[in-house]
Amino acid sequence: MSFVEFRFLWFFLIVFGVYWSMRENAARKIWLLFCSYIFYAAWNWKFTFLLLGSTTVDYIVGRMLARHKEHAWRRTWIIVSVCANLGVLGLFKYYNFFVSSASGFLAWLGLPASVSTLNIILPVGISFYTFHSMSYTIDVYRGRQRAISNFADLALFISFFPPLVAGPIVRAITFLPQLVSARKFADVDVRGAVLLFLSGFIKKACIADGVAPIADRYFAHPANFTPRSAWIGVLFYAIQIYCDFSGYTDMAIASARLLGYQLPNNFRFPYFAQNVSDFWRRWHISLSSWLRDYLYIPIGGNRGPRWFVYRNIMITMLLGGLWHGAAWTFVIWGALHGIALLVHREWTRLTDGLEWATRAMRWLAWPITVYAVCVAWIFFRAHDLSRAGTILKQFVLFRGGGSEHLHRWLLFVIVALAFVHWLNSRRWFAEPWRNWPAPVFAAAYGCTAALVLLFVPPSYTPFIYFQF
Amino acid sequence: MPIRHLALNVEPLRPATSTERQTLFRALINSAIGVGAFLLTCIGLHAVLPFPQIDGVSQKLRFFAAHKDEFDTLFIGSSRIYFQISPAIFDGVIRESGSPMRSFNFGIGGMHLPESAYVLEQVLNTKPRNLRWVFIELGELQTKWPHEAAGSRRALYWHDWRRTSLILRKVLGAGTHMVWLPNLKKVRDIILPRKSGLETRDLFIFHMAELEKNFANVATGSDILDYFSRRDINKDSAKYLGAAGDGYVPMTNKGMSANQTATYEHALALVMAQNGWRSISPYTMEACRQCAQKIRGIGAVPIFLITPSTTRFNVTHLDNARPPGVVMAFNDPRVYPNLYRSSVRLDEDHLTKEGAEEFTRIMAANFMHLVQAGEIK
Repeated sequence: MSFVEFRFLWFFLIVFGVYWSMRENAARKIWLLFCSYIFYAAWNWKFTFLLLGSTTVDYIVGRMLARHKEHAWRRTWIIVSVCANLGVLGLFKYYNFFVSSASGFLAWLGLPASVSTLNIILPVGISFYTFHSMSYTIDVYRGRQRAISNFADLALFISFFPPLVAGPIVRAITFLPQLVSARKFADVDVRGAVLLFLSGFIKKACIADGVAPIADRYFAHPANFTPRSAWIGVLFYAIQIYCDFSGYTDMAIASARLLGYQLPNNFRFPYFAQNVSDFWRRWHISLSSWLRDYLYIPIGGNRGPRWFVYRNIMITMLLGGLWHGAAWTFVIWGALHGIALLVHREWTRLTDGLEWATRAMRWLAWPITVYAVCVAWIFFRAHDLSRAGTILKQFVLFRGGGSEHLHRWLLFVIVALAFVHWLNSRRWFAEPWRNWPAPVFAAAYGCTAALVLLFVPPSYTPFIYFQF
Repeated sequence: MPIRHLALNVEPLRPATSTERQTLFRALINSAIGVGAFLLTCIGLHAVLPFPQIDGVSQKLRFFAAHKDEFDTLFIGSSRIYFQISPAIFDGVIRESGSPMRSFNFGIGGMHLPESAYVLEQVLNTKPRNLRWVFIELGELQTKWPHEAAGSRRALYWHDWRRTSLILRKVLGAGTHMVWLPNLKKVRDIILPRKSGLETRDLFIFHMAELEKNFANVATGSDILDYFSRRDINKDSAKYLGAAGDGYVPMTNKGMSANQTATYEHALALVMAQNGWRSISPYTMEACRQCAQKIRGIGAVPIFLITPSTTRFNVTHLDNARPPGVVMAFNDPRVYPNLYRSSVRLDEDHLTKEGAEEFTRIMAANFMHLVQAGEIK
């Protein structure tokens, strides 16, 4: 079940109606927990046991951490939690990748080894809920979060359906306090939430799914296309992935808000970033801040000599890339972002106080950032390294490729979408709705929703981040 | 976040205040306004939007609407009609017996019941004044589509309530009455699917989603531009629409390979060895009844046609629920051996150009015979 399917609408209406008709907070939470498991079971009910297992382990670890004050015991229990969570992630997501990579490496060394891979499917959203879950035990270990005694509360935090399968990554310290008291419907910004949902729906169903066939066509056989088509294909993918992922996030945040819960913001117009550091403060914010707080800072962060800091950045970005998918293309994507962050740091250090550099960067910072991000997207999207190399040659060196080309007018589509995006950043679309009387708003919303559906493709395309 | 806020796990029952009740009530009213506006806009758009651009269907429908009074006979169905009935030959045979006739082939690849019933309704809505006979391909009501076709506009545009309800009745084993309740076993398959019930659930979800999408005019935005720009999606088909083809596209005369021939002969032998007759489902009969009613509504006569096909050998009507019109069946190799020679076959379902011409001639002759015998009026 996905947010853009009609059945989600029926599902959510039932969840919403029953939820607000209940008066006891405990009953509401149980209802949400039940619905979240139903939502997850719609993909594959067998994996609900995995979700339950992960919750149970972290609940026990949380209780044990609360019981033991000795450092050694606490350390043992947090290792149990991290190993259990990463073990499940490693088994389902990375086992085949590491085994086949190791086998390839041994073969390259002239030591061919016969290895067997597992015939398993990746449980949807495993990367997300594992991080939700780990944030709880790590924060309890650090003393930033009190161990929870109510199992259902923890289960709801980990399985809460809006962010369950594709984020934003929610932390225990931001979500669990919201479960303490009953949400009030009067406090819900219904207008803001439904507008956010519609905005997310338009991003995903109209824009991302609309541009996807062009990007798919190019990335399937890049060698057949001209370098100009490579630019169109890559830029279309940049639009697709942003609209797809931020569309999902918007709908997730809006759904949670309608139930009275606040989720963290995940995007802040990332393509307007002025440098790569800025990009990571605007793109998938919940992941970048998670990696910062639970990986980068614990391994040293900004402390220590410069080269030590750079090592920390590279480790964080490489693992961030690997988190997205079990393939070398994702590792390279992470490495490219890591290198870009280092280059930016070095540039900032070397040109500190130089007037000409500041003036030049006023004009060049944005295009360079977008270009660097797009180069990295090539590896994120390419089917394999060989095709990524072909695209890179076309996109960077304007060389190679065939004679087939994507229509020139698609460039105008990119310009038009960029302009709409800019207007949206200036709140041109959301602001006027706020001042209308509620019945007028409701009628206009209904009409707009009906008009939006005209431009939705006939079949539903899964969200890109579902595979992560 | 201060830890003290997290310590509470039991909350006192909080009575709903009058302010909150008012807020909820206002939200309910506004939601009703929003839903009402949505439904009205969908209905309004549905009324004003042009017929969707469906490859092949739209071109034929536009052509037929522009020349509707020129035709007195219509053939409608799948590729078994599209590639196998030549209006020119059919008209020629009928003319030889002294009756002037002009027929139109409205066959579309992969168009089975209930899609063909929907298209027929659109054709009849153009109010063709001279239409006297409508041949409908008779085959089982289709509920499943290949995966690649399931998400297309082709699978979406005909999902109105009449068609979808018939499919749902078949999927849910609910019988053919207008007022229906699903079979409880099928309901269980939807809610708690076992391996055998997965198909029921998938089909139910698919057809319900298609109905909702069709009601909400999903993906029809591009039709507005297409309609005003008069753009034809498939220009190649246009050349078959004039007097030269009247909708008919001949297949190649290049028959099957040696391997294909061997497979075909084997399948034919198996079919010939079978004696039992498999019945058409009551849901198909209901779809036929609806078609016949519409056809008779404009003063024409429905004729149900079973094309020469080995895969349909056993398809015949129930004795206790006869189709609402004459059935012309060509699916018995013993009666029409010439149509089952491997030299005139492309596969188990389709004939070569030569075979199609022969089939058209036989079918026209049979039709004239039935007309002269007074069985078709």
